[in-house]
Amino acid sequence: MTSNYAERVKQADKLRSGELIKSLRNNAGGVDRHDYITWARALAEVNEHITVPEEKIGEAAKAYMELGRELRCQLAWPDNAITVQPQGSVNTRTLIRAPDASKFDIDAVCQVDISRVQANDPLAFFTTIGDALRVILGKENPPEPGKRCWRILFPEKPFYIEFAPSVPLENVRLETRQVLNPRFYATQRYAKTALAVVDRPTKWWKTSNPQGFADWVNEIAKNRLIGGHLIKANVLARTDGVEPVPDQDVELSDTLRIAIRLFKRHRDMCARRQYIDGQYRPISIVIVTLLSSCYQGLADIGRVYSHPLELLLDLAELMPNMVVQDENGYRIDNPTVAGENFAERWNDLDGGSERTKAFKKWCAQLQGDLRAILGETDDVKILEKTRDVFGCSHSTGTPGSGVKLTRKPPPVVVPSNGLA
Amino acid sequence: MQRKNGATAYRLPLPDFPPGREFDWAEVVLPKGFPDSATARIFLPPGVILKIPHVEEGGALCIDGDPGPSANCSPENRILHLIDHFYERFLNPWLRGDLDGEFAKESLNYWALFVDRMSSARRPIVSVATVDGCPRIACVREATLLSPKQLIVVADLNDSLTRRLGRSISGEGLQFTRAIVADIPIRESLTPQTWPRNYQALLALLQARLDAGDFQRFTTRISRRGRPLYRLALFRNEWFGYAYLMPDWPATRLGKRVKGNVAFERKKMLPLPVRRWDPAWTVGRDQISAVESRQKSHVVIFGIGALGSFVADHLAKAGVGKITLVDPEILESENIGRHFLGAHWVRRNKVEGVAATLNQSYPTTQAEPVSKRAQDWLQYNTFAEADLVLDLTGDRDVRWAIDRARQDCACALLIGWLEPFVAAAHACLLPAGSNWYNSAPDSLERLQATEWPKEVTQQVPGCSSRFQSYTASAAAYAVALVSEQALRLLDGKVNKSCVVSWVRGQQYFDEQWPGLVIRDWAKLGSELDGATSTRTYP
Repeated sequence: MTSNYAERVKQADKLRSGELIKSLRNNAGGVDRHDYITWARALAEVNEHITVPEEKIGEAAKAYMELGRELRCQLAWPDNAITVQPQGSVNTRTLIRAPDASKFDIDAVCQVDISRVQANDPLAFFTTIGDALRVILGKENPPEPGKRCWRILFPEKPFYIEFAPSVPLENVRLETRQVLNPRFYATQRYAKTALAVVDRPTKWWKTSNPQGFADWVNEIAKNRLIGGHLIKANVLARTDGVEPVPDQDVELSDTLRIAIRLFKRHRDMCARRQYIDGQYRPISIVIVTLLSSCYQGLADIGRVYSHPLELLLDLAELMPNMVVQDENGYRIDNPTVAGENFAERWNDLDGGSERTKAFKKWCAQLQGDLRAILGETDDVKILEKTRDVFGCSHSTGTPGSGVKLTRKPPPVVVPSNGLA
Repeated sequence: MQRKNGATAYRLPLPDFPPGREFDWAEVVLPKGFPDSATARIFLPPGVILKIPHVEEGGALCIDGDPGPSANCSPENRILHLIDHFYERFLNPWLRGDLDGEFAKESLNYWALFVDRMSSARRPIVSVATVDGCPRIACVREATLLSPKQLIVVADLNDSLTRRLGRSISGEGLQFTRAIVADIPIRESLTPQTWPRNYQALLALLQARLDAGDFQRFTTRISRRGRPLYRLALFRNEWFGYAYLMPDWPATRLGKRVKGNVAFERKKMLPLPVRRWDPAWTVGRDQISAVESRQKSHVVIFGIGALGSFVADHLAKAGVGKITLVDPEILESENIGRHFLGAHWVRRNKVEGVAATLNQSYPTTQAEPVSKRAQDWLQYNTFAEADLVLDLTGDRDVRWAIDRARQDCACALLIGWLEPFVAAAHACLLPAGSNWYNSAPDSLERLQATEWPKEVTQQVPGCSSRFQSYTASAAAYAVALVSEQALRLLDGKVNKSCVVSWVRGQQYFDEQWPGLVIRDWAKLGSELDGATSTRTYP
């Protein structure tokens, strides 16, 4: 890992107030400071609440695998010409439920070996995939085109899939790669997993590296910043060219992923409560990149914490100051794609300042809410406050719970109303 | 359990609830009149209102269930349907968390419940009206309190729509008082789970969304003249609006000056309903894109009789911003059977009555009465600022005068008229640059469906006037035709001159006046009750 993370963390350390740790230690009072058990338990409960249940992820995984198989058949391309694999928060194991129980999304990338398939025209390539999906899904559920992916809704299911057609750059001959000439290029370390995805707004290819980014986050998460805790290991297996969805359960000690989940959820709640304008809310990739950079920086300077809660609070205070600001504006570099700036839109003339303000307001609200949680010392009030901040006031029943009638009513036709 | 109102209630079995989802009981209530004239419903404890979705005031659960007396279903099966729906569509999904997003689907209904709970007869403000689109970023702006209606309009007093709205809903004795509003755009609806539940939360939200200067300005409770201010926090987008009156409002008189009729300063915030009064909403619920251009347009209507009075009303409803009404006549008692105006306008100018009614009914329209003959008006006025002229007089001299006046102006013209018995009606559409009079003489007679005998028109006894009998409901076809075509012309959808006609079938002609010979073009509706056709003009 580069050492500039260490430098940025040191700079960020100078700018932050340190109030959160002080609040925690003051209010822990007579409690053994290495436990902070009630606050930790409250946050663990939130983490469990925002976790997408395993069976729902499994359901989405089946749908996404089936879609991959049907796509190969429909396109009549050779079996090893295309590979479908997950990307995004599923891969980094940071997938969370929406506060309103709306659908969650699985990002999937459809990689096509360009040596086997013609893909010189990016828009035609994108359309070919879309046409195939349209045949598979039928008229009732057509895919919707996004900037770089096809969005597929499943009407009776709690998820949707975003399917990105792409070309793996490593397999492409240099001459062809020059023809592709995508915007940006992969960093050397993550070149093997780099892709060219279709960017509809520019009508050309753009470099993306979802697997590389997930590898970057997952490698950083392995750093041990908590003394004496073990992190559960997970192994991913490739089967049939379609990668299964990784296990979503993480323990509280897996602090980087916990922080990513909790902070994304807090951002969602801030938008719902209108503390920030939802149109300008900080996007997830910004949160993930800043937290991961911060986490790596802390590891690089050898910081060790006696409790995950102290690490979590430090991440909340340091994260805002990890954004780079120079003569060109704000920068949050994609570590896997050279030149790509996740904060590019913060520098737009139209809406840029609103995005920056929304980020800063959200960070201030996050710190304020964490301070409020730490300000409670009564066990019940700590739980209530934490649930309220993260929008988790109700727990949910187990699948299959509830009441089932033994006798069902016969069907009835209800006369319709007229328009008046 | 028997209730005092004659209803019978039965408790339903409930499972163990996960923490935070419990309620004490649920019961099926068969009201008096069930099953013949009433439907059974499920009730929950009133304490869960605004905590659990789909629970209305009184604890009634708002789900489909009992299909009702009109469904061909036995009472037992109706109750079974209701109970099945309770478990399958409400309770089990609620336990699983699948209803957690339901508040957002009908958030304004829940807001109305919240407002009702917090309001009282002595509340100083009853509702909030918005007259424009929501701002792009949060800001503090001027507003106007209209008394005695206790309505805050989110616009300052100089806004013309504010004044017209006040005139429309308040009539005489209207007073204006300055207020300020924190106008904050939102992307998602607010729900009982997310709207500020107390003053501290509201202040925190305002501080988060307003910049420091605006927040300071808004939380200052006193105007520059040292008087307390009405302050409103408004959260809105094009679909949802939620408002809070901030505490410490000025002492407010409610209604007549009697002892005790004052809402004194209160220390609590007061939630208020928000209603859109902007033209895009009141005219077409955001579905009619032409409203914006119509608001800037000016239509002059000559002839405010049985046809013109209703057409003027339709154009106002459609969002035309300014309508000039020209007609010299007064309303007589024999007119009220088919005129827009009623008995209280008899012996008064038709244009004054119609203008007053339109101005009262439609804040988005400014109607101006001109009680003059068309030729007299044209002596001192031109069509330079008109976008469309309607000649609904049926008078050939008026047609002549208008056609000449149009020669120097680029405005469109519609000439509309009825045939006897409204057996046919016509709208001749003349875009800018095209004329009624060409080389041929006046074309009205030749465009009609038939040649009517002179006896069809009757003389008014003891008077030189003539009239032709037709009913208001028959004339409604002509009103619809002319109104619709006028809007097409105004919206720029007509490129070439044409005549659009409505014509009844042969049977209708025979019933009104046997022996008429229908012209060829009008025969398209012979076998029908009526038909519409378009012909080129001239």
